[in-house]
Amino acid sequence: MTTETAIISTKGLNLYYGDNHALQEIDISFARNRVTALIGPSGCGKSTLIRCLNRMNDLVDNVRVEGEILFDGEDIVSPRADVVEIRKRIGMVFQKPNPFPKSIYENVAYGPRVHGIRDKKTLDLIVEKSLKDAALWDEVKDRLHASALGLSGGQQQRLCIARTLAVEPEVILMDEPCSALDPIATAKIEDLLEELKKRYTVIMVTHNMQQAARSSDYTGFMYLGKLIEFGETDQIFEAPREQLTENYVTGRFG
Amino acid sequence: MSEKFHEELKELRREFCEYGAFSTLMLKDAFEALKTGNLDLAADVNARKKYLSSRSDYFDERLLTLIARYQPMAQDLRTIVCTLKMNTAFYRIGRYGKDIAILVPDFAASGHLGRMLNLPHMAEIVFSMIDDTLEAYESGNTSLLLDFSERDDRVDDLRYSVFREGITYMMEDPRNIGRCMDYVMIARYLERCGDHCCAMAEKIHYMATGERVDIS
Repeated sequence: MTTETAIISTKGLNLYYGDNHALQEIDISFARNRVTALIGPSGCGKSTLIRCLNRMNDLVDNVRVEGEILFDGEDIVSPRADVVEIRKRIGMVFQKPNPFPKSIYENVAYGPRVHGIRDKKTLDLIVEKSLKDAALWDEVKDRLHASALGLSGGQQQRLCIARTLAVEPEVILMDEPCSALDPIATAKIEDLLEELKKRYTVIMVTHNMQQAARSSDYTGFMYLGKLIEFGETDQIFEAPREQLTENYVTGRFG
Repeated sequence: MSEKFHEELKELRREFCEYGAFSTLMLKDAFEALKTGNLDLAADVNARKKYLSSRSDYFDERLLTLIARYQPMAQDLRTIVCTLKMNTAFYRIGRYGKDIAILVPDFAASGHLGRMLNLPHMAEIVFSMIDDTLEAYESGNTSLLLDFSERDDRVDDLRYSVFREGITYMMEDPRNIGRCMDYVMIARYLERCGDHCCAMAEKIHYMATGERVDIS
């Protein structure tokens, strides 16, 4: 990653759920305008790691975080960090699409409204741009005021991406964004990643190794709370250095 | 699922080793037929080309099927790609055997010039390279491949010397032209086999270690 700048990097990051040492001494850097995938078996800590990056773990009881997470040079683990601001700049898309039970328009306009934008024209523009960026505009432009819950799963997921984009984040975290979608909807999201990374940084957790191989620039392999190997995606899937990574990507695990 | 895939890949690799040995034997038998003027053996080598070709198609198909069905990664992927490349190379090596075999009748009446120039020496080195290629593929022992550059250089030098010596014979007596042209062709076939071995050695090295090396 010599020619690329890191937007987020962690140093000596440790996380405990009570006595469970869920993340152990994680040092990782996420490159700006790149897609980074985190892979690993269930329970390896990959979701926990990305949830640290926008302080989502604050919502979990009994969690203790040690170490440093630098976002644009600022430590976001610090109690002084502004969590609302962090979550605006680091948006998140979840495994299951979770649109609000409101219209398509209101779903996208919600974030900007919370951040104080009231002007109807400005909101219209933001909604249109966000839906276009999420490759959903053409499918919904004639029914913006219909309920979001009437959309298909794949459309709902793209709506959630549009909702994230509406507050102009710098980083988008995706926690298994396609695991509830069919292959065609998955392909649309993957195509979208190519576009998104021109303006955003994407960090994605996935169980689907082929998806990581297809759509990411960098891949980190995690196992039992540790980052075992991190490198360019080509290298991780063609010629991993660590035996554990080799075993995982070739399906010789457990 | 993954166990089934690994079993299939292992079995295919074993079958491919047999194919490599089959193709190598075509080349070795052809050269033996050439040395001894054994027309029956030469005809036999020529007849093996059908099986050579059908097996090559078989490996192409099976390897593509494995990719399509299992989307292999890491060493599994490297093994499949290496085997695909080696499939082409061993098909070519077998075909060079056939090409040599069909020249054998040219020498039946007249015998050889000298000790076939430097061809036996050349063949010996090329055979050693092919044997080591197969052995390294089977065992993953890449140390067998370390001196391929040097061996290939010797093969290239010998090819040139066959060419020079052939010209001398041809200038001496135009009736030597036919046989000498054959020698020059055979030297070229053997030299090509050496090149195939170098290319395969690079693939095997990558398959076994994940590191790319440059061999001559």
